[in-house]
Amino acid sequence: MRYDVTTGPIDARELEAAVTHPGAGAICTFTGIVRDNSRGQSVTHLDYEAYAEMAVPQMRHIGQEIKSRWPGARVAMAHRTGRLEVGEVSVVVCVSAAHREEAIAACKWGIDTLKESVPIWKKEHAADGTYWIEGDAAKPAS
Amino acid sequence: MPVAIAVKVRFFARLREQAGVETEALEVPPTSTLADVYDSLRRRHPALEPDRGSVRGAINQEFSDWDTAVSAGDEVAFIPPVSGGY
Repeated sequence: MRYDVTTGPIDARELEAAVTHPGAGAICTFTGIVRDNSRGQSVTHLDYEAYAEMAVPQMRHIGQEIKSRWPGARVAMAHRTGRLEVGEVSVVVCVSAAHREEAIAACKWGIDTLKESVPIWKKEHAADGTYWIEGDAAKPAS
Repeated sequence: MPVAIAVKVRFFARLREQAGVETEALEVPPTSTLADVYDSLRRRHPALEPDRGSVRGAINQEFSDWDTAVSAGDEVAFIPPVSGGY
């Protein structure tokens, strides 16, 4: 299992290599990418900020929960921090399992839970200003 | 019984900008809860988010309820909603 918060580029293939094993017939990888628009505005770049000492243990909790809900699953996840440009990878969640159904379900649950409970924040630099994105809300940043 | 205990406070993202600091040493009365710590910080940093319901607290890197008591030396963090997306 592998859980990273990193300022460097994330290589999804490397995380897949960390979860693959002879009994795994499926790997599902979610890759989050910086989009060039949000709320109808063009986005120039993002800044991600993490509470790294808590984010990594929270990712580990998610991985352990996946293993208890989908026995045999293996998990790797990584989130990038700092300034990210449009098109760059911000987050990867990778799950291997015996069959695709578990791999896909566990990966979806993993990224959805990561987005709710891992303390990493997104500051969006857009045409109409700079905002902290908090769930569905965009709050002006200083 | 000590008259005060010291905790280390950390702010992140929007709350960090509102507080104007990333970390802060704070003394609070013994038996203070996470809510008491936040209320005390609100008095020191009036720009800090007034709606505590929209913030989560963590003690020593674990999400904790607002009525949890803090202990001397704890790292207390206040966490705005995380990045979301769908």
